[in-house]
Amino acid sequence: MKKLVFALLAAAVVAVAGLAVARSSGPSSATASSHREAPLIAQDPTADNTDLYAFVSPDKPSTATIIANWIPGEDPAAGPNYYTFSPTARYDIYADTNGDGNPDVTWQFRFVNLPSQFFLGNTQQRYTVTKIVDGKSTVVGSGLMTPPDNIGPRSTPNYDALAAKGIQSLSDGSTVFAGQRDDPFFADVGAIFDLVAIRSGTGANGGGKDFLAGYAVHSIALQVPKSMLDNGNDHVVGVWAATDRQQVTVAHGKAQTKWVQVSRLGNPLINEVIIPTDKKDYWNSTSPAQDSQFKSDYTNPILAAVLEKLYPQFGPFQQSGRSDLTEVLLTGIPKLNYTGAKLADELRLNLSVAPTAADKVNRLGVIAGDNAGYPNGRRLGDDVIDIDERVVAGELIGHKLPLGDGVDANDVPYLASFPYVAAPFSGYDDTHGLTQKTG
Amino acid sequence: MRARLLIAGTAAALAAAVLALGGTFRHGAVEDARGALPTAIAAELQKGFAAGDTQAEIAGLQGEVRADPTNTKALDTLGLAYLQRVRETGDPTYYGKADGILHDALRIAPNDLIATAGLGQLALSRHRFRTALALGLRARKISPTTAGVYGVIGDAELELGRYRQAFRAFDRMGAIKPDVASYARVSYARELIGHTGDAERAMALAASAAVGEREASSWTHVQLGLLYLNSGRAQRALVEMRHALQLFPDYYLALDGMAQAQVGLGHLATARTYEQAAVDRVPLPQYVGLLGDLDRSLGKAVAARREYALIGVIEKLLAANGVRNDLDVALFDADHGIGLPHALELARRGYAERPSIVGDDVLAWALARNGRCKEAVRWSDRALRLGTKDPLKLFHRGWIAACLGDRAGARTYYGRAFVLNPNFSVLWAPTARKGTS
Repeated sequence: MKKLVFALLAAAVVAVAGLAVARSSGPSSATASSHREAPLIAQDPTADNTDLYAFVSPDKPSTATIIANWIPGEDPAAGPNYYTFSPTARYDIYADTNGDGNPDVTWQFRFVNLPSQFFLGNTQQRYTVTKIVDGKSTVVGSGLMTPPDNIGPRSTPNYDALAAKGIQSLSDGSTVFAGQRDDPFFADVGAIFDLVAIRSGTGANGGGKDFLAGYAVHSIALQVPKSMLDNGNDHVVGVWAATDRQQVTVAHGKAQTKWVQVSRLGNPLINEVIIPTDKKDYWNSTSPAQDSQFKSDYTNPILAAVLEKLYPQFGPFQQSGRSDLTEVLLTGIPKLNYTGAKLADELRLNLSVAPTAADKVNRLGVIAGDNAGYPNGRRLGDDVIDIDERVVAGELIGHKLPLGDGVDANDVPYLASFPYVAAPFSGYDDTHGLTQKTG
Repeated sequence: MRARLLIAGTAAALAAAVLALGGTFRHGAVEDARGALPTAIAAELQKGFAAGDTQAEIAGLQGEVRADPTNTKALDTLGLAYLQRVRETGDPTYYGKADGILHDALRIAPNDLIATAGLGQLALSRHRFRTALALGLRARKISPTTAGVYGVIGDAELELGRYRQAFRAFDRMGAIKPDVASYARVSYARELIGHTGDAERAMALAASAAVGEREASSWTHVQLGLLYLNSGRAQRALVEMRHALQLFPDYYLALDGMAQAQVGLGHLATARTYEQAAVDRVPLPQYVGLLGDLDRSLGKAVAARREYALIGVIEKLLAANGVRNDLDVALFDADHGIGLPHALELARRGYAERPSIVGDDVLAWALARNGRCKEAVRWSDRALRLGTKDPLKLFHRGWIAACLGDRAGARTYYGRAFVLNPNFSVLWAPTARKGTS
């Protein structure tokens, strides 16, 4: 959900990281004294985790599905600036099966561009999946292929068939897909970024504008046998995704192999809403096992103070001592997906909770009595903006408000089977920026 | 077409303003002059090259600030948006606006990281490197784990000639967050110490980390192109510049990069076309300077004179908006034989502000052009002390050697410059060629 920030060019919340890309002049131009500057606002979209989902597969309940997305706000019509996974980054999906905040199963993805990349608009990539269990690395998939981006009917005809070829098997019995997809997330970014402004009333009545409609992301989806993740006791697995880049230093010019984590994502909105600006780079470099140091950012959430300031008529909003938030986000909810006292930002999924039948699914998940949804894992259609606004406002501590951004569902339906995320809009008939129907 | 109108209109208005003020600008006076611009042209100037988002963004943020003048987040964002506008339009009056708004933020929240680092960034843009360093260090105190603060610190240290400290800051930045910002800085540091291949590798990583960001992406390919251009691979530079323009057509930095690559290949007329296009977008003084040099080489003396005159106006406008550009002006004047004693004075003043190898080199060149070649040697040697493979600095050293009667020394330095780039300067490569024959 860093796209909340992406949506605005001058995104101050993260800009300090990209800020100051200033570089002095290269020494060799004809007018060497001028101080040349690099772009002021330079994010790293290909390393940017946008959303993470984990759920028991509704059509295949013996498996669990994890979907991690990267690259916010891909404009289908952005050619020649096509989007691909970064061949110089490493993409990680982690699973913690014993609640200690450390990964017990890790999947690492490395992508390679094919010759003729970019100039011919060839966006297909080859990739390798390495799985690490108990410190032992095994390549479980190599020579795998992403589908190309959905450029248009001439470059990429029969896109659904092309994309279906992207569903491939790993040697450990899992299924994988990596490539461009419609962004399954939905939110009134404009209103949220305008400090959770709510367009109509308290926002529960629809009428919001889905700023992400028609935009794409790059997804990595894994469907794994539940037995791979189930600890046999409380059946809770915690997952998160991250991205690493290689460190370089001035003096050592040769190939570097030290990876530094530059982005991570477990629960939605943590980086945007919970972690203060001056800790963001650090937080992104740390792992869930180290999260106890951020405890006060959870118990005294900035967002509660913002709500108080903006909506005194709905207050008071409790701004400190919010152990309800550490429960939801850092330890899990007792009797549902609690993993112990260890504080760790992970998306916790109790694998023993059966998927809710399609006609019974509630977008508000657990707070509406649908225990197969967020924050017990996260399904594609879970309305985490509304859930988070309500929970931060005090849903779990007796302060119930029907808050929301007025966007209750994605602009296109998800797929009924793996990889579940819908095909991306094509650049040719790009229709991003659709307004959500009132509902 | 509209861009050409813009630059003509702007130049005329600025020239008028310079005259009206007797050649000295006071802060704020330029904005008054702007008010006299025909509305259509003023509107063009406001538009800039980017998607147009910044402008809308600024309007929205101004509204937020009006509604709540204590909204530091809006103030911070607005300050950065103004800095972005300078990038997009070249209009330096946004510096003052950014300055004011970021100081407003600091008055409300003295430990605001973005305002502090943003002011550091602004100080860098204005070539106030000591101020930038102080702000960078303050930002580091606020957040020692934010990569960007080491960028401000390192950039400032670099321009103050404190290379060890600068490189340490860049290494720290890269350890916290490998991304386009830190990769590009490490690349530049490696370039400075003459490790061209290593610099290319870091810049290639920067290019990879910039994918999906149009400007940053194009910018990294321009930098790669310049690395190739000045290490004897003009043809490969051309490919990078083409790539940069494909990613971001009309990007003034890429247009200028393409012009430089064309100069490297000896295609001066084509270079002129690209440089004119760059100037049409954003009339940075160094672009106008290259355009003038190209016109002179192509026998268009009148056009060259007009462009050289325009530089003086732009430099005054920059200075009026807080940019310390003494070294730039000194270099231009020394190159073109304009008011040489004054150029030396400017070089000395510039050096005091910016005691880096850039300062060393400009001071050496200004001394040499004033016939003080013996004094110049020391500064020119200092300019080369990092082992930087910069043909222009090598040429300067050669010219000084020739001036002192050391023909063999001159030939050696000229030869080294030519290996790097046989067409390293429209203005001086022909001189060097005569000196080696």
